[in-house]
Amino acid sequence: MESTTLAHHLLLAGLLFAVGLTGVLLRRNLLVVTMCLELMLAASTLAMVAFSRFNHKMDGAIFVFFVITVAAAEVAVGLALIVALYRRRGTIQSDALNTLRD
Amino acid sequence: MPPDFSSLVHWILFLPLGAALFIALFLRRAGTLAAGLSTGVAFAIAALALRLLTVTSADTLWHVELAKLGGISLGFGYLIDANARLMLFVVSFVAAWIHLFSVGYMQDDDARGRFFGGLSIFMFSILGIVVADNLLMTFVFWELVGFSSYMLIAHYFDKDDAAEASKKAFIVNRLGDLGFILGIAFCLAHHGTLNFAELGALKPVAGWPWLLGALLMCGFIGKSAQFPLHVWLTDAMAGPTPVSALIHAATMVAAGVYFMARISFLMTDEVLGFIAISGAGMAALAGLCALAQTDIKKSLAYSTLAHLGIMGCAIGLHRPDLAVLHMAMHAFFKATLFLGAGSVIHGCHHEQDMLKMGGLARKMPVTAATFIAATLSNCAVPFLAGWYSKDAIIEAAHHHNLYLFALLALAALATCLYSARMVRLVFFGPANSAAAEHAHESPWTMTTPLVVLGLVFSVAAGFAAPALIPASALAQVAAPLHEMAFHATAPATLVGGLALILGAFAFRYYGRAAGVDSLHADLPRVYSLLEFRWMDTFYGWVVASVQRRVAEFIAFLDLLLINGVAVRWLGAGIPAVIGYLAGRTLHRGQTRLYALSLVAGTLLLAWYFLAR
Repeated sequence: MESTTLAHHLLLAGLLFAVGLTGVLLRRNLLVVTMCLELMLAASTLAMVAFSRFNHKMDGAIFVFFVITVAAAEVAVGLALIVALYRRRGTIQSDALNTLRD
Repeated sequence: MPPDFSSLVHWILFLPLGAALFIALFLRRAGTLAAGLSTGVAFAIAALALRLLTVTSADTLWHVELAKLGGISLGFGYLIDANARLMLFVVSFVAAWIHLFSVGYMQDDDARGRFFGGLSIFMFSILGIVVADNLLMTFVFWELVGFSSYMLIAHYFDKDDAAEASKKAFIVNRLGDLGFILGIAFCLAHHGTLNFAELGALKPVAGWPWLLGALLMCGFIGKSAQFPLHVWLTDAMAGPTPVSALIHAATMVAAGVYFMARISFLMTDEVLGFIAISGAGMAALAGLCALAQTDIKKSLAYSTLAHLGIMGCAIGLHRPDLAVLHMAMHAFFKATLFLGAGSVIHGCHHEQDMLKMGGLARKMPVTAATFIAATLSNCAVPFLAGWYSKDAIIEAAHHHNLYLFALLALAALATCLYSARMVRLVFFGPANSAAAEHAHESPWTMTTPLVVLGLVFSVAAGFAAPALIPASALAQVAAPLHEMAFHATAPATLVGGLALILGAFAFRYYGRAAGVDSLHADLPRVYSLLEFRWMDTFYGWVVASVQRRVAEFIAFLDLLLINGVAVRWLGAGIPAVIGYLAGRTLHRGQTRLYALSLVAGTLLLAWYFLAR
C-alpha cells in the first residue's frame, strides 16, 4: 500500500477548509458559523503540521501549539459573545441581526 | 606596541552612567546615598583621568562598529589624543570638586536624588563628547549633554524663570544642532566617513569647501553660546549654582570649543575668520554687559560669555591649542568664581543681588580669599592661570589682525572692570542688607572645593602644571608660553598691565557709595544701554512679528489647500459620493453576503497574483 504523501494531507486540509467555508457562507446560525470558522482554522493548522512533518522541521509543529492555544481563547470569547447576543436579542440568526444597516 | 588604555577609558566613561542608572532606579528618594554615590564616582573618574594623563603620552584608539548601513560604518570608539587627555582631566577634576560642593549646597533640597542623578548623567554625556572618535557619536553625546543641561537648569521647575530658562536653552541649542546634523549629513554625502582620523587624512571638498566647516560650526555656536545664539546662557543661571559652575561655565559650554579644536582641520579661512570676529566682538560686548548686572550669577554668566568669545577667537586665529588651554584655565577659575558665588548666596540665605551684599570678606574669609584669587586669575594677573592662556591669545591676535587685537584688549579691560566691581560690591564696604549682615561661612564640603580649585588651581595651574605633568600636552603647550610671557614689552602684556591698573581704579570707583551702582548713578544712559537685552528683544520681535506672520500665512494655506481642497473636497467628498451610492446597493446587513464578498475578493487577488 502506498504511504501517504504531502499531497494527501494538503488535499484533506483543502477539503476541510472548503467544508468550513461553505458553512460560513451558507449557514445562518452564528453558533454553526463559528464552528465552521474553527474548522477552517483547523484545516490551515493541519496544512502547517503536514509541511512541518514533510520538511523535517519542528517549527511548524511547535507553532501549532500556539495557534491552538490562541484559537481556544478566541472561541471562548466568540461563544461568550453569542450567548450575550442571544440574551439581549433573543436570536442568533445572522439575517435578523441587521440593525447597523441603517 | 604601546600599552592599551582603552579599558581605563571604559571605566571613565561608564562609571557615571552606572551611577546615574542606579540613582534613577533605586535612590530617587534617598538623597544622601545618591549624593555619596555620585560624588564618589566623580572622584573615582577624576583619579582615573589623572592616571591616564600622567602615565601615557601615546594616543589611545579604540573602535567598535555598531552598524553598517549602505557602506557607511556607524561606530562607537575612542580617540584619546593630547587634547582629549587634558580635557578628560579638567572636566573630571573640576566636576569632582563641584560634586563635593553640591553636597553642602544642596543639603536642604528635597530632590537631591534627581539632582545628583542629573550630575552623573551629565558627566557621562560630557565625557562621551571628549572621547568620541566620530561625528555621529559626538552628536549623540552632544544631545545628551543638552538634555542633562535642560534637566538641571529646570531643577527648580516649580519656578517660572527656571522652567522657561531650561526651555529656552533647549530650543536655542536645537537651532545650532540643526546645522550640526546637516553638517554630518553633508560630510557623509561627500566623504563617506564620519571618523575624525579618516576625515583628517582627506582632501577638502571641491565646490564649497567652507560649507562643511560652517555647518559643523553651528553646533559650536549653539553649545558654546557664541553670538548670535548666546542668549540662553545668562538665563540658564536660574539653575542651582553648582550646575552653573559645572555645566554653564567650566565644562559643557567649553565642549564646543574642544569640538572645534578637534575638527579644526575641517575649517576653512572664511569660517575661521567669522568665528574670530564674532568671538572677539562678543568677548568685548559681554564683558561690558557684565558691568550692568546686579545679579552676581548673571554677571558671572556674562563673564563666561566673554571668555567663550576669547576661546572662539583663538580658534579663529588658527590656534586651537591656545583655545583648549584657555578652556582648561578658565574651567578652574570660573568654576571657583561660581562656587564662590554659590557659597555667598548660600551664606546670605539665597540673596543674589550684589547691591544687597557687601562686607562679606570678614564674615566669609575662606570664600572671600578664594573668590579674590580666582578673580585675579580671571583678570590675567601675571603668573596666575588665566594670564598664561589669555595673554597668549591676545598676543596671537596682535600678530594676526589689529582689529581683533583691539577687541580683545577691550575685553581684557572689561574683565578687570567687572571683576573689580564684583569683588568691591560683594566683599567690601558695609553690609547692605539684613541677609548680608547675618551671613556665615559655609561648611567644609563647600569651602574645600573652593580652596582646591581656587587657591591651588586658579593661582598655580599655569605655573605648576608643566612641572607636575611633564609628559602631557600641557607641557608641550605651556612651555613656549613661559618663554613668551617674559617679553615684558609685548603688546599683550602692556594691554594686560593697563587693564589691571584701570581695574584698580574701578575698585576705588565702585567703593564710593554703598548700596548703589556707581556707574548707574553717574551715567544712567550708558548703564541702561549695557543692561538692555538687545538680542533677546530682537528675537522676541522676530518671533512675535515675523515668524508669527509667516506661521499664520502657512496656517491659512493649510486651511485652504490641505484642509479645504485636499481633505474636505478630494479626500472626504469623493468617497462620500461613492459611499452613498455603494451603500444603497451593497450595504444590505447580511453577514453571509459580506463573507461571500470577502471570499470572492480573496479569490480575485489570488487569481491576479498567480496568473501573472
